Amino acid sequence: MRVRRFLRNLLRYTLLAGITLFTILPLYWLFLVSVRSRVELFGAPSFIQTSVYIENYTKPFFSEAYQRYLLNSIVIATSNTILVVLLAIASAYALSRCRLAGEENIFFWTITNRMAPPAAFLLPIFILYTRVFTLGDAKMFDTHFGLILLYCVFNLPFAIWLLKGIIDSIPTEIDEAAMVDGAGLWMTLLQIIVPLAAPGIAITAILSWIFAWNEYLFAATLTSVHARTITTGLAEFVTVTGTNWGEMAAVAVVALLPALLFVALVQRYIITGLTFGAVRE
Amino acid sequence: MAQRPIWPARVGWGLLAPTLCILIITGLLPFLYVLYISFFDWNVFAAQGVPLFVGENNYRRLVFDDDFLGALWRTVQFTFWTVTIELVLGFILAQSLVKNFVGRGIFRTIHTLPLMVAPIVVGAIWRLLTIPGFGPIPHYLQQWFGVDYNIGRIATHAFWTTVLMDIWHWTPFVTLTFLGAFSSLPREPFEQAQVDGASTLQIHFYLTIPMTMPIILTTLFIRIMDALRTVDEVWMLTGGGPGSATRYIGIHIWRVVFPKTDYGYGAAMSLLVLYFTIVLCWLLFIVMTGKFKQIQ
Amino acid sequence: MAAPTPTPVTAPTPTATPAPKQPPAAADFWGRAAAEAGLRGTTIRGITESIPPSKYAASVLAKEFEQATGIKVELETTSWDQMYDKSIKDMEAGTGIYDFVYIEQDIIYAYLSRNFLTNLTALLKEKPKLAAPDFRIDAFTSFINYFKDPKTGDLYGVPMEAFIKCYVYRKDLFEDPKIKEAYQKQYGQPLTPPTTVPDQYRRVAEFFTKWGKDNKIELYGTTVQAASGHPASFYEFVETILPSFGVYNWGINMETWKASVANGGQLNGARAKEALTFWLDMLKYAPPEAPSSTWDEVAASSAAGRAAQGWIYGENVVWIATDSSRSKVVGKVGVGLPPTYPGVLEEARAGKGYIGYYDGGAFGIPRTAKNKEAALLWLQYIGQPSVQPKWAAAAGRVVHTATFDDPLVREMDAKTGGYFTLMKTYGNLFAGAPPFPFHAQAREIVAPFIYKAIAGELKPGDALDQAAAALDKELPRLGYGR
Repeated sequence: MRVRRFLRNLLRYTLLAGITLFTILPLYWLFLVSVRSRVELFGAPSFIQTSVYIENYTKPFFSEAYQRYLLNSIVIATSNTILVVLLAIASAYALSRCRLAGEENIFFWTITNRMAPPAAFLLPIFILYTRVFTLGDAKMFDTHFGLILLYCVFNLPFAIWLLKGIIDSIPTEIDEAAMVDGAGLWMTLLQIIVPLAAPGIAITAILSWIFAWNEYLFAATLTSVHARTITTGLAEFVTVTGTNWGEMAAVAVVALLPALLFVALVQRYIITGLTFGAVRE
Repeated sequence: MAQRPIWPARVGWGLLAPTLCILIITGLLPFLYVLYISFFDWNVFAAQGVPLFVGENNYRRLVFDDDFLGALWRTVQFTFWTVTIELVLGFILAQSLVKNFVGRGIFRTIHTLPLMVAPIVVGAIWRLLTIPGFGPIPHYLQQWFGVDYNIGRIATHAFWTTVLMDIWHWTPFVTLTFLGAFSSLPREPFEQAQVDGASTLQIHFYLTIPMTMPIILTTLFIRIMDALRTVDEVWMLTGGGPGSATRYIGIHIWRVVFPKTDYGYGAAMSLLVLYFTIVLCWLLFIVMTGKFKQIQ
Repeated sequence: MAAPTPTPVTAPTPTATPAPKQPPAAADFWGRAAAEAGLRGTTIRGITESIPPSKYAASVLAKEFEQATGIKVELETTSWDQMYDKSIKDMEAGTGIYDFVYIEQDIIYAYLSRNFLTNLTALLKEKPKLAAPDFRIDAFTSFINYFKDPKTGDLYGVPMEAFIKCYVYRKDLFEDPKIKEAYQKQYGQPLTPPTTVPDQYRRVAEFFTKWGKDNKIELYGTTVQAASGHPASFYEFVETILPSFGVYNWGINMETWKASVANGGQLNGARAKEALTFWLDMLKYAPPEAPSSTWDEVAASSAAGRAAQGWIYGENVVWIATDSSRSKVVGKVGVGLPPTYPGVLEEARAGKGYIGYYDGGAFGIPRTAKNKEAALLWLQYIGQPSVQPKWAAAAGRVVHTATFDDPLVREMDAKTGGYFTLMKTYGNLFAGAPPFPFHAQAREIVAPFIYKAIAGELKPGDALDQAAAALDKELPRLGYGR
């Protein structure tokens, strides 16, 4: 028995170590590229680095443009995540706890928004944002709000889908118990359902944030100078006169940090073995 | 499926209203527009300068378009391999990360990292790693094993590199969603099963999988949808080459719509791919839920 | 024109330099004209690719312009694909987002055919108060002719960058006595940069690849821009290789818009097939990254010292030859005319053909722009003589004939092995992209066959046959040819 447990642990740690190595290697290389000057990228590739070419970091980030891009990305991703989480909780709860006419079709339709290759949809959205959604001279083009709204198309269906699954597995007895205790809709939602669904909400928040943070195509098309995100800033490095891998890598490394921070913060809510078990008995 | 309804319908609609508003404006309207222009022959730089109505001609052409069909088939193969491997790997990883052990938090954070990297950068990193002549992987493979690894010349190398890249990038997604699902599972049935002497495999098949089936399906479908639409990473890595070995449908449509400005044809293509994706997911849904109903 | 203060040759990434002192009349003009027309305080927005010349315009010239006129310039720098896509979407949908757009030379014909651009000549006539005294069309090199309407001669774009894609070789290797001796022994001829294709070029390529192998150094005989899946490979073939074999305009007959020999084109003719066979044959003498090489990797291979010779875009030649933070072969670079098939050079001299690619772009004003007058001032500002030398030094681009003689440029010329002299003397033998309104579309039709040929899925002859057939089928659908 002890031998089996030992072997199982060995297997687990070996697997984790292997996967960790596989995960880290490309990121380590990204870091290496970010501290090498362009000439150093030629010649035999080495995994060891003694010097640090700090210009790759200082040049972009001492320029106002990339600071702005980073800030924009943070604002847009975070705002969109908050919006998506709020709306998704409400929608998932509605789809789970109410009988709505055509709810399966509605549910299915929301998912299809995410299924098509986006290239062809850029044109109508471009027109909508530059011509249709205008207030006087102001357009939705190149605004934070425009992107925050647009990312709902991808993140909302996904969030609703995830959360509906989670909320579905919370027995309705809990809701009814709360109602008997005198709780109204919002109380039930906020005080009972949300805490129970916390791990799922956390995962949803993380994934929505990451998708919004990394999105490129729509951001590139619908922003110009003011609302530009860091991902579109990254694409600028790929040019006819040579990709500046070093600076691009440096910007990419810095772009990882807010994501890491966000994930680290929200991760705490993913805890094991909740109170469902108790209720099921 | 909804449970026994607790709240009246109008409450439900009220909760759903903002979502529907946003999705109709940003999702349905563009879709209708794309549907509309898919019936036109519209290329911005065509001599006639205006779109010409051609009915279902675009769709008819697509059915015989070898490039389109080839790209679609390639994408299906790509999707099959990446999604299958990611699901299995993610399942195993999530299982390992569920129970508490020393350093679990660190492992979890590390494993999420690839997901946080922008797709363009993922493509860029893997390009830097694998580009012949400059990258470390071809260099050391040649030096230590004498293997000629060249993604620019050898189609199978390019294909499997894109698969590997996708696995690296997206397995954390599967791991995370499964982790969320496993974290919400009640402990009792599992403890009971262990007491009864069930093997690990049996526990997985008869307990874990059926209990988390909704999440598994969700993850499966989302991965399939996203894999079918892959563009940025593969574009950075291979540009669709060598030849057309990694020209997946996302890239193909992109090149038709953007540089070629063939909007009408591109619209029809996008809708066909959408339809194809829906049908594929539907079939899978039936198969998967059917199979596991049998086991139960 | 005031003498510019000599600055050390910098890497072609723009740094903010203090504004050059302009003669009083010119300096007064900008501020005056802007104020009189009520343009102070406007903001104009433009879009361009994020390459050094544009970055210089954004970081240096735009600020000077704003100081002089009070007009703010918001220049969106983005990737090549996006730049095209958004300009086209804006002009097609008439949304008036951009007041000026980057027009690459190869797309001007398409834009003209759709009447996307403002007629600058007419606009200048209409608003004489906005015509800058320093802005003269005849000060530009012949490159500006590409941006005029062929029928009326009216101007639609102000050039802001131009380069030639020339032949580049490692002077140090070609002058090394040991190497020269070995070459002489092997081929019985002296080692000189080749002037003809295919044989002379092939000999040199073969020699250096063998030399690299025998001496265990990472040296190969030639670069080949053969990224199989990226338009760069298609471009090297049609811009550089085909013309050097005497096949012009992509082998498309300009009267009938047909490409196959059967219909009067040349794309699958004997010469074109010879060209493709030669080019693909060069892959065996190219570094292993050649089938993955876009213009990016070709420049990198060259800068890393991995290629003894090759065809390189002018914008890259400059930094490869001078920037030691990016290149390992600084000071070792020589340039020359692309080697040509016997007879082609004479044809070019007689004006009947061309030997290589004249690359570049201009800024133009969409017809749907909202701030045309302000944009017009901006275009003239960047087109004035006084800003050209510093811009040339920073980004290696020349659009005014006088700039070649500027001391700064002369200095760079010496360091690049004579690139600017080459461009000045032989520029007229090079040509831009053919006047196709369907440039991008034709590229997307033909390129996949080139990719397949590179990957070995098709033989060169078959690839060209199929490409020509595909063109002949699709161009009529676009309304060109029957």
